[in-house]
Amino acid sequence: MAVQSWIDDLKSSQKTALIHDGKRKIHYLFTDGKEMAEEYDLKTDELICRKWRQKSALGVQGVWQVEVGEPVNMPAALDPDVIKENCSNPLFMRKDTKNSFQWRIRNLPYPKDVFSVSVEPSERCIIIKTTNKKYYKKFNVPDLDRNKLPLSASALSYTHANNTLIVSYQKPKEILTLEQELLKEVKKLKGTGEGDVDCKTH
Amino acid sequence: MNLYKIYSSFKLQRSKCDCFHLWSRFQIFLLVQLAQMAATKVPEVRDITRIERIGAHSHIRGLGLDDALEPRQVSQGMVGQLASRRAAGVILEMIKDGHIAGRAVLIAGQPGTGKTAIAMGIAQSLGPDTPFTALAGSEIFSLEMSKTEALSQAFRKAIGVRIKEETEIIEGEVVEIQIDRPATGTGAKVGKLTLKTTEMETIYDLGNKMIDSLSKEKVQAGDVITIDKATGKITKLGRSFTRARDYDAMGAQTKFVQCPEGELQKRKEVVHTVSLHEIDVINSRTQGFLALFSGDTGEIKSEVREQINAKVCEWREEGKAEIIPGVLFIDEVHMLDMECFSFLNRALESDLSPVLIMATNRGITRIRGTNYQSPHGIPIDLLDRLLIIATSPYTEKETRQILKIRCEEEDVELSEEAHTVLTRIGMETSLRYAIQLISTAGLVCRKRKGTEVQVEDIKRVYSLFLDEARSSQYMKEYQDSFLFNEAQSASMDTS
Repeated sequence: MAVQSWIDDLKSSQKTALIHDGKRKIHYLFTDGKEMAEEYDLKTDELICRKWRQKSALGVQGVWQVEVGEPVNMPAALDPDVIKENCSNPLFMRKDTKNSFQWRIRNLPYPKDVFSVSVEPSERCIIIKTTNKKYYKKFNVPDLDRNKLPLSASALSYTHANNTLIVSYQKPKEILTLEQELLKEVKKLKGTGEGDVDCKTH
Repeated sequence: MNLYKIYSSFKLQRSKCDCFHLWSRFQIFLLVQLAQMAATKVPEVRDITRIERIGAHSHIRGLGLDDALEPRQVSQGMVGQLASRRAAGVILEMIKDGHIAGRAVLIAGQPGTGKTAIAMGIAQSLGPDTPFTALAGSEIFSLEMSKTEALSQAFRKAIGVRIKEETEIIEGEVVEIQIDRPATGTGAKVGKLTLKTTEMETIYDLGNKMIDSLSKEKVQAGDVITIDKATGKITKLGRSFTRARDYDAMGAQTKFVQCPEGELQKRKEVVHTVSLHEIDVINSRTQGFLALFSGDTGEIKSEVREQINAKVCEWREEGKAEIIPGVLFIDEVHMLDMECFSFLNRALESDLSPVLIMATNRGITRIRGTNYQSPHGIPIDLLDRLLIIATSPYTEKETRQILKIRCEEEDVELSEEAHTVLTRIGMETSLRYAIQLISTAGLVCRKRKGTEVQVEDIKRVYSLFLDEARSSQYMKEYQDSFLFNEAQSASMDTS
């Protein structure tokens, strides 16, 4: 049932597709005013990027919140007056593969046995801890939340190499079928081809 | 100072016209000294927490009423005007209650009887959460914007909306602050801040503004702080328990808190107050590059306003937001014209209207934009909707008290006799003139290396700077030698 409502949301949303730069770009506008943008690789059909945007209560246009893919790099000199993380800090990003959700945390120059990754089913989140108290991260899996699927510890695994911690979570069956369906749906959308196009749903 | 001795040995005789230029050169010299004082003080002041300047009403800290709304003779910078302060106190209670919309109050009285001071007192007692918008009547006349638009913007600035919003905050214990100042003394400072929780540690790069506010808050290693990521506002929560034994000398108010747990960055719901005008602006500005072509004149469409009003009412019914009616203060209200007054009549009837406080020093005069005479220069139909508070001239005792408060505010020491002389000057000329003499006399006193202003100093500045009456007298005597002396105007016309 629950899976159904997310699909319905997707179906009822207004979509615009565009093929550009070897990527299939899709813009969704949901009925509640939220916007979602996705980018798929044309050849492999892998999800490269997914981001969300929403207007605040007062009507201010929000900034894009990246769910999957490289974080948008703000020009460093844009706002020198505020606070921002130093570039030597760990960098958290999500990069999915066909069969699993995957998170990569770069700049973590500690041995593998420092890390412990666990699932907290009651809070619906995954927790990364370090015994040297240098890094801690608590994050949820939005795909599972949207479809109201449970988290299981057995699907979780992690490796560490090249100063990068890679956490993988096996995609459940429901997600796999849903993604295939969505991809089929998306491919049916008229791609407006190369060049500058007006985005009707933007 | 050599120059100063030359001038101070110089006998000032006003009747001799040939010494006029020398006399005014000394005045200019004094004014330049005042300006230099202000200019040289700036770099010292920059790093200190208090960077306020002393304004005409900076000694006012409230209305000076007790809990039963009875005015105290001297309190919170207010002196005398007991009846009008009590009346203002009643109005204040009404504003704090927040249920009654669109009431208007007029403070009327002679110049220099504390009308603006009462309004400032109301603003101070309302506190920072209630919107208080002050403007002068002549401010609304602009070529960019119509008069009624300026007035509606002012009205909407005076209505606050308390709303919950989610913001990202950083909460952690300071491990280390490192600030590098450039060797030349000017240029951008760079800094690093290391924060930790019980679980993790992160290094942040600091911009100039953040460095300033960190040093203003006197944040040091061991403090537990929160930083609002969007606005950069820093709040000190206390000192970490782990640092409890660092020093044995600690202020009694030092609070110890636990080091925060979990992640450094958290999303938190905060309540903040925005004015209706701010919401208007956010929703009316054309987004993106189209704004380049739209030619923003600053006028806000009435449809946008209606939409916002509907939305705010909806939020209020859903319990998401709370409306805080504030105060709009219009000084010199006689400068408004007939159109504005009729607009006010209409605007006061809206249920989203703030409490309007106006002040005027005019008697029966012409209403701007008409040929009719009316009390205070305000049409009778508007006057009928107003509660009028009258202020009366200060007595000698009160004048003395006000001058004393101003001396404290401006950090000038006055001898008993000088105080008496200054009070006399205040009674005979005007209170404002006497207040002006405080800082100038203080400067003269400091130049002769004195610590307390004596009668001599007051006499000196009194002879250097004319008050209004003496200046007019001087004009009458010597008007033949001035340019354009044939232009005769009997009375000042404001329109």
